[in-house]
This record gives sequence, structure tokens and C-alpha cells, in this order.
Amino acid sequence: MMEQPHSCCKGAEVLLNLQPTSSVSIQYHPFFGSHDDLVLLELDEKLLSDVLYQRVTLRGQPDEDAVLCTKSKTYSVKFVGTSNSVFLIPPADCSTSHESGGENYKQQVATASVIKVAPGNMELVEVAPRLDKLKSILSENLYSSDEASTAMGDLYKWDDLINKVQASDDELKAGLQALSAVEIDGYWRIVDEKYMDVILRMLLHNSVLNDWLLDSLVEDKVVSVLESDGFPRKLVYHCLNVYGSSVEEEAMGGGVWRLDARRVCVHFARGVLREGKRKMESFMEEWLRMIPEEMQPSFDMLEGEVLTEKIGVETWVRALSVSSLPTTPAERFSILFKERAKWEWKDLEPYIRDLNVPGLSSEALLLKYTRRSQPSIDAEPVFSAR
Amino acid sequence: MQIQVKCSCGAEKCPEWAIIELQGVVEVQPSFQHSLQNLQIGLLCRPSSQENYTFTVGYHELTGYKVALKKPMVVLKKIKYMDVERQIDEATSSSSCVELDVVGFIRHKILFKTRPTTLISGPQPTVKEKINAEGA
Repeated sequence: MMEQPHSCCKGAEVLLNLQPTSSVSIQYHPFFGSHDDLVLLELDEKLLSDVLYQRVTLRGQPDEDAVLCTKSKTYSVKFVGTSNSVFLIPPADCSTSHESGGENYKQQVATASVIKVAPGNMELVEVAPRLDKLKSILSENLYSSDEASTAMGDLYKWDDLINKVQASDDELKAGLQALSAVEIDGYWRIVDEKYMDVILRMLLHNSVLNDWLLDSLVEDKVVSVLESDGFPRKLVYHCLNVYGSSVEEEAMGGGVWRLDARRVCVHFARGVLREGKRKMESFMEEWLRMIPEEMQPSFDMLEGEVLTEKIGVETWVRALSVSSLPTTPAERFSILFKERAKWEWKDLEPYIRDLNVPGLSSEALLLKYTRRSQPSIDAEPVFSAR
Repeated sequence: MQIQVKCSCGAEKCPEWAIIELQGVVEVQPSFQHSLQNLQIGLLCRPSSQENYTFTVGYHELTGYKVALKKPMVVLKKIKYMDVERQIDEATSSSSCVELDVVGFIRHKILFKTRPTTLISGPQPTVKEKINAEGA
């Protein structure tokens, strides 16, 4: 019955391996107490090895509810209480068998000791990363053309960001990418859109002067020409990354980049609308004039970036960029319905398709935050605030 | 701030803990409230080869069974960070010197869901008469 070498007549082991027709005395541990430093955390089987192999962290400021982060996911941590008595029994190693050994030996009965009565346990619920804070702290101090002369405000290194932002490493990286942030001298920065505009225009200007093709820009040439125009090397690469993508490695070595028509066109549309809304005709005229000849702009490219509205006989265009909106559904819908009381699906969809709520489909989101109405059976459904 | 969750015993050696769960509370007689150390709560028996158990506490007997938890649990221990340099660095924030150590995991509990029955014949000889189980 007790031949197994690891089995022992004390602690959790004896309880878990209790043989038929035997018994164990349950007693208070010599160190029984409230032990607020001992916490039970319930988790999915798949997370257990992440936890045991030290791949998870808790993140959050003292005034925030802590979240638990794996490499790729974020979980909120909730306490769930119980009215039952949950006796927590550690293995014998943790108990002080030496102190109480003599007495137990006399009893000649296996014992297991209760270290505390757990009032409940922590549970994990997968949540979306809290990235709005990332945007707000990085936006406080934009990287601009007169960077050298501006006083240094708060700047954030990667380690500062993981201390401040409640997101997993992967989600934080994706969030930085979505914000077009760039690491400059070790600090993560968002580059002022006006400065990006200057670099992009200079790049396009040089492409005309030097007969560069916008879908096969030779990295070495672009970088050296723009550097000689006074732009930091890092920012030139950033410009290529934000408005284009790397195509292939040329046989001779250097990389080749292709500018992305949509991103370039969206950039100039934002520029045109920065001062406020415009009549459709005047917007189109100015926008099309700015776009390089090689590119084929279409109004569809501006989905999720601009809103059109009819006022009388005229159509107006104004900027509303999905990237400027909050990432939490309640705040997102609240702002959308302030912008416009009623939305058709084709207008609304670009502004909510990126909402990421674990366990909630986009249909469920619509049900929760909108009221759907359909004036007649063949009419388009219209969404308004609940 | 970031708190690293550690497992200083090592993932392979992390020990399994156990839980006995019952309804209500076990009340200790007032005269023993300050000397709980090593005090017996009750006797847990496994009468047959099935995973059924009885737990005898004072005059009361509970019947229950061993269940696998739907999800595993880990036992975390909060440890105050004792590194002096870091304490000076972050002296303003007292909570910044905390670490969490996984000291065990739990996959099973022995669950007593029912209210206790009273033993007519009196307490078992091995059970001390100092504790009463109070039903919820």
C-alpha cells in the first residue's frame, strides 16, 4: 500500500493518494492562518505551462485592475468568492514535519495539514489589450522636425511601455505598428503627421527628379538622397515603412520598396481635410492634384477615413479616421453616434470592423450597442444608439 | 508596473496541493481558538476502492467524493522584493517590490456537497470532541 518511494504519510500527497479502506487525519497546520499572501488562480489548461515556465506577467498601475499577460494575450483577473470552506492543503515539504513529527508519530495515523481556508480564487477572462493608453501617452510628445529644439518631455522605452500599458508583448508590438510608431534612440515615438508629410513630399519630389518608379524604389538611393536633403536616416526608413512595403532584395544587395497607393492617397486626403469639411467637388479637385501620377486614386480607398453627408443638394466630405477612435466598444459607439445619429451598414462597418472583444462577435456587438431599424422590408437597415 | 510570475521550485518539480471543500464553516470551540496548531479537524476516510470519501468532524459525518477540477489552479505566493537598490529606486511606490511565486498547482479536490449527518453512536474514538461542523 505504501511501497511507492514518493508517497509519504503527510500533506497533500497522502490525501491525493489515499488508498481504499484507509484514512487520514485532517488537522490545522502549525502555521495555519489567513495567509493573505497565498492566492489561488484558476486558469485554462493551456495556460498552465505558460505559468509554470515563467512566461506570464501581471501588468498595471496601482490604480488599475491588474491584467495577466502571456506572450500574445491579455486576461483580466477577477476574484470569485465562495461561501464554502475551502481547506488548502500543501504538500508535506511545505509543512514543518520536524516540529510536529513526534506527536504525529505517536498517533500512527497519516495526517494532512490545512494551511488556510481560501475565501475564493482568482479567475482569468480574456480581454482586449488596453491600447488607448498607448496612443495617449505617445501622443503627448510627438517627434517633429524641430525635435532637437523641443524640450524633452516624457519618453518611453519598451520597458517603460510594458510597465504602463496593459497589453501582452505581441499586442503591444501590433499596437505600436498600428500607430505607426518608431523606435528612435531607444524611445518609441509617433512622428508628427506634418513632419511625415514633409518627408513623403520630398520622397515623391525626388522620384520625379530622378525618374524613380514608385513601385520599385531602390532603398540605397532613396535613403542617401533624402539624407542629403537633411532627413535623419531612421525617419527615411520610417517613411518607407509607413507608406510602402519592402518588395524584394535586389540581386546586388540593397532592398526595394513599393509605395502603397492607398496609404499615400489616405495621407493626402487627411491633409486636405485637416482644416475642416469640404464640398465634394473641391475636395476631389485638391486631393487628386496632390496624388502622384503613377497612382490611381479612388474614393473607396478612403473607407474608414472620411464621411460624406448630403446637406441640401450638396455633398460634403469630412475626416473621421477609424484610427483616431477609442478601441473599447462602448466609447467607440458613443462617439460614432455623436458624429451621426443614424448609420447605414456600409458606412458603419469600416468604423467597427477592427473592434476586438474576445468572445463577442460583431453581430453581438451590434445587438449590444445599437438599435437596428428597417423602415420597409426592402430598405437598408439603419443603426442608431440604444 | 510589471510583476513577473515565477516558479522558483521549477516547472517540473512544482508540487501538487490538495483541497477539501465543504459547505458552511467549521467552528472551533472558543477555548481552542488561540491554539489551532496541529489541532485535528476531523478524519477523512476512503471506505472503498471508489473515489468516495467520508469526513468525520466531531459528531458530524459528511459524505463526498474526489473530483477533478474543471480547470487547474495554481497557488501563488506574494513575495516582498528585498533587493535594496530597487527599494531605494522605487521607494515612492511600495507595491512595486512584489513578486509572485507559483508554489503549487491543484487538479483535484475532495468535495462534500451535502449537509452533515449526525452520528448517533457518538464520536469515533480517533476524533476529538473539540470541533463542531456547522451546516451552511
